[in-house]
Amino acid sequence: MRTRLSRKITLNVLALGVFAFSVFPVYWMVLTAFKPTKEIQAETPSFFPTHVTFSHFSTAVHADGFWIFWRNSGMVAISAVLMSLVVACLAAYAVGRMKWKGRQAFILMVFIAQMTPWEALLIPMYVIARDTDMLDKLPMLTLIYFMMTLPFTIVTLRGFLNGIPVELEEAAQVDGCNQFQAFRRIVFPLLAPGLLSTSLFGFITAWNEFAFANLLIIKNQDQRTLPVWLSSFSNTFGTDWGATMAAATLFMLPVLLIFLVLQGRVTTGVAAGAVKG
Amino acid sequence: MALAEAETTTAAPAPGTGTPVPARRGRPLWARVLPYLLVAPTVIGTAYLLVYPLVRNLLISVQKFGIAQLIRGGAEFVGIDNYRAILSDDKFWSVVGRTFAFTAINVGLIMVLAILVALLIGALGKWMRFAVMGGLVVAWAIPVIAATTVFQWLFQSQLGVVNWVLVALGFEQYDGKAWFADGNSTFAIIVLLIVWQSVPFAALTLYAAMTTVPKELSESAQIDGAGSVKTFALITFPILRPMFGLILCLEVIWVFKCFVQIWAISQGGPGDATLTLPVYAYQIAQSLNRYDLGAAISMVTVLILAVVLLAYFRQMFKEEGEL
Amino acid sequence: MKFRSLAKPAVAVAAVLSLSALAACGSSDDKKDAAGSGPTTIDVWLMKGSVSDDFLKRFEADFAASHPEVKANVQIQEWNGIGTKIIGALASKDAPDVIEVGNTQVAQYSASGGVKDLTDKKADLKGDDWIEGLAGPGLYEGKQYGIPYYAANRVVVYRKDLFAAAGVTPPKTREEWLASTAKLNTGGNQGIYLPGQNFYVLSGFIWDEGGDLAVKEGDKWKGALSTPEALKGMDFYQQIQALGKGPKDSDEAKPTQTDVFAQGKVAQMIAVPGAAELIAQANPALKDKLGFFPIPGKTADKPGAVFTGGSDLIIPVASDGQDAAYTFIKELAGEKWQTDLAKTMKYVPNRTSLASSVGADEGVAAMAAGAANGKATPNSPNWAAVEAKNPIKEYQTKVLTGGDPAAAAKSADEIITQALNTK
Repeated sequence: MRTRLSRKITLNVLALGVFAFSVFPVYWMVLTAFKPTKEIQAETPSFFPTHVTFSHFSTAVHADGFWIFWRNSGMVAISAVLMSLVVACLAAYAVGRMKWKGRQAFILMVFIAQMTPWEALLIPMYVIARDTDMLDKLPMLTLIYFMMTLPFTIVTLRGFLNGIPVELEEAAQVDGCNQFQAFRRIVFPLLAPGLLSTSLFGFITAWNEFAFANLLIIKNQDQRTLPVWLSSFSNTFGTDWGATMAAATLFMLPVLLIFLVLQGRVTTGVAAGAVKG
Repeated sequence: MALAEAETTTAAPAPGTGTPVPARRGRPLWARVLPYLLVAPTVIGTAYLLVYPLVRNLLISVQKFGIAQLIRGGAEFVGIDNYRAILSDDKFWSVVGRTFAFTAINVGLIMVLAILVALLIGALGKWMRFAVMGGLVVAWAIPVIAATTVFQWLFQSQLGVVNWVLVALGFEQYDGKAWFADGNSTFAIIVLLIVWQSVPFAALTLYAAMTTVPKELSESAQIDGAGSVKTFALITFPILRPMFGLILCLEVIWVFKCFVQIWAISQGGPGDATLTLPVYAYQIAQSLNRYDLGAAISMVTVLILAVVLLAYFRQMFKEEGEL
Repeated sequence: MKFRSLAKPAVAVAAVLSLSALAACGSSDDKKDAAGSGPTTIDVWLMKGSVSDDFLKRFEADFAASHPEVKANVQIQEWNGIGTKIIGALASKDAPDVIEVGNTQVAQYSASGGVKDLTDKKADLKGDDWIEGLAGPGLYEGKQYGIPYYAANRVVVYRKDLFAAAGVTPPKTREEWLASTAKLNTGGNQGIYLPGQNFYVLSGFIWDEGGDLAVKEGDKWKGALSTPEALKGMDFYQQIQALGKGPKDSDEAKPTQTDVFAQGKVAQMIAVPGAAELIAQANPALKDKLGFFPIPGKTADKPGAVFTGGSDLIIPVASDGQDAAYTFIKELAGEKWQTDLAKTMKYVPNRTSLASSVGADEGVAAMAAGAANGKATPNSPNWAAVEAKNPIKEYQTKVLTGGDPAAAAKSADEIITQALNTK
């Protein structure tokens, strides 16, 4: 009895440790965002909000073009994710449900695509964009983010698909559905949660990207995205930590919200896919 | 709440699911062409947005290509000169070595911690589990740029909270400790950041996978007198081996080509203490404006990574081949 | 294609929003005239912090009135990632028409072939009178690519009240400076706030000793931090840096040094005079307590050497409105607006003859005194590459945290040598 109790206490203490370790940096970020500058630079930091100020948030929100960049980032991220979901869905179905020559090579290609060090492609991508008149255009960024997210989306969707018993489709086909109808009526509804959660990864990637957004959007300032904007908080005279943390908090918010709603399904999908192998 | 559902929505894949529809002889033409049509968008997209830029990159790597050539064009073909310059540079090989060490340390820590955390979650009561998983999700969701900014802020030498806490705990030598001045401590902070960001995905995925292991198996093992470590080694791990393989492979890829965190925090410094291959390629290309050398380094990086993962690919092929 | 249909409205919405935003700022109509008869629209990139909002508004209004044939669209650029971005702009087909570039960076752009040669405009701009710290870097292989825009150099900003309380007066020599700073460095106050990685300040100390950051031998550059002169400069940096709590691993931007100063616990810091405004903004109580003096030299007869910071203006070859761009430059770099800019921003104007017209501002006077001994970083197209991953900053941190100066200087020299000789 005693050992069981002490085991339980140990477990919970460990759990608290993990929780604190995971949350503290984020807590500190949000806390700093609400602290007056004086307190941020105080010799003795305060760990709880004492004097809450919204001035850093106001600095952030009133920075030039905040809403435009917000909208640009949202637009680019969402279009990239939608494209990659549609394209990946088709590919995942072909890989997971059909037998064809070249399937292995295709899977290998997807994995290799996953390995691309994207920062290395900045200059070639710039040259290609310039030569096809795609500089200064959000669609170019959208296409790049689509490609960045596509391989992982295929891998994960295939995982979800493998988790859906093929017998269901076969039964539907026996009942007179063709393959497409079987997919639409049986597989798709079961796959939908997976689609939703897979989109998270793509969204984060697109939402976060700085290097391409900085190089490929040159003259047209109204096409800039949030990460570029976020970096603007380190100005000539230095880093305004309060405003930077406020900006980072605002930047994190949409991702966190989507995450809290969806995360359980993402891990489940990867798990289901990989267990099948 | 999705967090609580994680367990219940985990559909344990029944044996034999996901087998592709067997190929039937004499299928109509459209059915034989269909898979190719379905992967066509992926292939076309990859060809234009990945293969083509890679080919351009390859082209740049065999030219003399700096700012002038970028602006005016007319780059001159120099054959394998750039590769020779890189491969004969001792610095390159020390960067390769560091990249491997960096990857091994990070991935090792991530995998071990993720397994421990996953097991911990499984052993917790409902509320504590909810809290831990929520905490992990928060750490996972914070965008990389925001996370690196926060870590710089935490470890800031004069106003950073880490130094303050250490001093408050009686470690006076940490008063004004300049973490980013020293190669080892910078390296350690970057490792900490990457592990902090990566463990949630791995742990939550592993936990989700562990819930798919039938309870009876581990229970019977425990009845036979196996401790939890033994149960894990004998039952859980073998069943979830492909799962570990996938996560390991993904983490290796992610850590190996990790760039933003390192660049934002230390730009590869101080000295070369945190200079890994992707950072080195970027540094040479963007700081020295030697796009040709940067391109050569990045091509070699892709090659090295492919070789490293060859073993995994072969394994994967074997399993794919069985389908 | 899907992305097109999604992105088009985005472009439209963004455009509409930006138009309304501009209108709200009191700027005139932004419609571009497609017909040849209308004004030429030019895009101008100025760097963040180089002009105040007020100045920009005044200038834009005046420019619009006196040059109706040119519609100037000024965009403020961020320093972060600017090098890559300017190169991207120079290489593009549709570049901005005027770009402000830092005087340590301009050489690499001049050498790239992407910048218009403005040698023939020098007389028109009264270029014989340009200050050397800006005209020199804008010159490449005998041709003038960069047009001097403004300069500023660092002075010591100090707290008059703390000086009075400690019974010290602004020092004239290094010895006096060390002594009085040590006196000020008591009772919870920092004698001086000098971050470990302010390499422009270090450069000044090195020049004072007769050393340099790098020297050219024949056609080869060589890092010179490990010379005895340069090491002496670093030694002094270490002495003065120790008289305060400046972070050893960070520069003046992290944390913002004006904010640290505004906390009220710092007696001196080294900054451009314009920083005083920011301090007063952050802490109005300090407004009348701020004074300035030139960085002390080795002897009382000569102030310390300082780095002449500043910017040049360039016109990209890829600009499609080069004449209009020149009109813009001629205004901004001309007498009227240079005088205004120097007064407003506490800068050194681009021509020596204009210096007197700036007036008797205390900060500007201190800066002008120091500017007499102003110097520039090595004039090489590759210098920007050195600053991009700054080995000098790492060297400073290494020495300040107890490393061996000679060894650290030697390894920094190797990096500088390599970067400067990269072809």
